[in-house]
Amino acid sequence: MIKFENVDVVYPNGFKGLDDVNLNISQGEFVAIIGLSGAGKSTLIRAVNGLVPYTAGVLTVGETVVDPKNKSKLRKLRSKVGMIFQQFNNVGRISVLNNVLIGRSAVTPTWRSLIGWYSEADKEVAFQSLERVGIVEKAYDRASSLSGGQQQRVAIARVLAQDPEVILADEPVASLDPPTARKVLGDLRRIQQDLGITCIVNMHHLDLARDYADRIIGMRAGQVVFDGRTEEATDAVIEDVYQRSLTAEDVASLDAPISLDDLPEGATVEDLEEAVAAAGDADGKR
Amino acid sequence: MTAVAEPTTTTSSSTTTPQRPQPPKPPLRAYLGLVLIAVAAFAFFWWTREDTSVLFLPLGFTTLWAPQWPLIGFLVMLAVLGFCWFTRTGPMGALGALSVVIVTYWAGSNIYFLDRIVDVPGRLTGGNTRDQLIGYFNPDWQYLLFSNVAGTSRPIWGEWLITLCMAVVATIVGCFIGLLLAMAASPVSSPNKATSQTIKAANSVIRSIPDVAWALLFAVFIGSTAYGYGALAAVLALIMFNIGIVAKLLGESIDAIPLGPIEAADASGANLLQRDRVAVLPAVMPSFISYSLYVFELNIRASAALGVVGVAGIGGELSRQINRMSQGYENVGAILWALVLVVLLVDLLSLWIRRKLL
Ligand SMILES: Nc1ncnc2c1ncn2[C@@H]1O[C@H](COP(=O)(O)OP(=O)(O)OP(=O)(O)O)[C@@H](O)[C@H]1O
Ligand SMILES: [Mg+2]
Repeated sequence: MIKFENVDVVYPNGFKGLDDVNLNISQGEFVAIIGLSGAGKSTLIRAVNGLVPYTAGVLTVGETVVDPKNKSKLRKLRSKVGMIFQQFNNVGRISVLNNVLIGRSAVTPTWRSLIGWYSEADKEVAFQSLERVGIVEKAYDRASSLSGGQQQRVAIARVLAQDPEVILADEPVASLDPPTARKVLGDLRRIQQDLGITCIVNMHHLDLARDYADRIIGMRAGQVVFDGRTEEATDAVIEDVYQRSLTAEDVASLDAPISLDDLPEGATVEDLEEAVAAAGDADGKR
Repeated sequence: MTAVAEPTTTTSSSTTTPQRPQPPKPPLRAYLGLVLIAVAAFAFFWWTREDTSVLFLPLGFTTLWAPQWPLIGFLVMLAVLGFCWFTRTGPMGALGALSVVIVTYWAGSNIYFLDRIVDVPGRLTGGNTRDQLIGYFNPDWQYLLFSNVAGTSRPIWGEWLITLCMAVVATIVGCFIGLLLAMAASPVSSPNKATSQTIKAANSVIRSIPDVAWALLFAVFIGSTAYGYGALAAVLALIMFNIGIVAKLLGESIDAIPLGPIEAADASGANLLQRDRVAVLPAVMPSFISYSLYVFELNIRASAALGVVGVAGIGGELSRQINRMSQGYENVGAILWALVLVVLLVDLLSLWIRRKLL
């Protein structure tokens, strides 16, 4: 479905963001990409829909070769490749429904978009997408009035309205609290399985990757240094990806090695997860 | 319940208050440098002065004398520096304050501002100022409400209506074109760099020509029309004026919008127009409405100024009345007071609309 053959990305300033990446991701797979900050996770994901142009090799999505120079071909490709962002990237001032309808842009005539008059069929698609993420009753609320988890669901609905074959998600739950993060990821996983969509998701939390992904790809310095089934991603392997021993926070919810003395008395599971999330955030800034 | 809080407060106030960090003292050497700059400025102003009056400073044992205005300026500079030192302002801040004084002094002395403004009270008491003031403060409402434009059968209040209509048309057309130009000018929403640079340059040209000059240009181009001298010229001038303002202000608003939604629209395969419509326009809509209402208010005022070039509306009537002011100031007074009232009303209205819409 998605095939990287010796793909390089060299940024305009000469920095090599991807270095000879070879990957073959098949239809319906849920792939998590892990790696330290700056490893090139976002670069990899953005190369797929041409937001970052690759500079060498061949990158194929479905039957089409991604051509970063050809704007109209790129638009056609993007209509089948949805993207979810860490900051949701909804348009705050317009309604949830109109945000979801942005996902119909590629199949909507420009004049309809300009006067904001979408066809009933498009609206129906949007409503169905909202139904899938369970916030159809918020359709006419302003997007900015929603909570973080709801906003990310709007973003997922927007992507679903594209009727995508591939969903790219760049740290989709990094701005959410741990329980919400799990719910949103769970939704994404369920929908992806229902519709047979290929999913590539960047993650900072190893435990989330292990719980939801079929396959884990580890990156370091622009290179793929691990690629295997989730079961194969043992602590030793991940330590190699991170080039350091796993700290308590990395694997907290698997073996709970956080000392219980660190937690206040009567701490709940949420507290534990929060501690993990805090450690994960600190990780991201390192 | 206060039992817990009280002991802590009393102990802390009875014992010596703890040492708090003080703002650092600015370096003395930098301030000496600033004083040198002030001295240099003083010398420059002394050297270039044209006014020869001097000021004497009796110090008891001796009497200092110095040219009047440069010395006053120098004392102000020193006072500003002293104040900055006292408030522990950093050297860069003090330099800024000093520069403001120096530049103001320099600019003011070039147009003899202080020399001339001291004459003003004298001028006010002489001549017909008294009559004028009396006229302005006794506006002739009778004239404003019931008489016709001289030599025609059009009532004066009808001119107000024309002004209002001119402002409405100019605002709607000008703001819409301004919106399109702003979109084309901002690198965020324009198709490419070349377009953005070209439109930006065109906007600068439009903006640098003042509204009165636009009105004169259009009046010459199209001449007078069947519907009165220059009403069309005035509207076109106002439109250009509005395009300039809205394109500039809105272009800057567009530059500052968050890029995330734009990237999201791109990633879902929207084309440029769709992206601008769904991701850019909603983000700048509140600014656009605000600017349009402001521009409407400006138009009412500007159309009065455009009257000087003989266009229609209340501006034309105002300039006719100014030309025959020797026969009395009551009419001009009435128009000016009514103008204040109308602008106030428009301001209130736009405030109300803004509150309802945003
Ligand atoms: N536009 C750009 N120009 C130059 N270098 C860039 C650009 N974008 C990213 N980089 C560099 O490419 C490297 C990889 O960046 P990337 O955003 O892919 O990392 P990441 O793995 O997503 O990190 P994070 O977890 O912090 O999001 C970084 O070293 C970054 O500095
Ligand atoms: Mg990233």
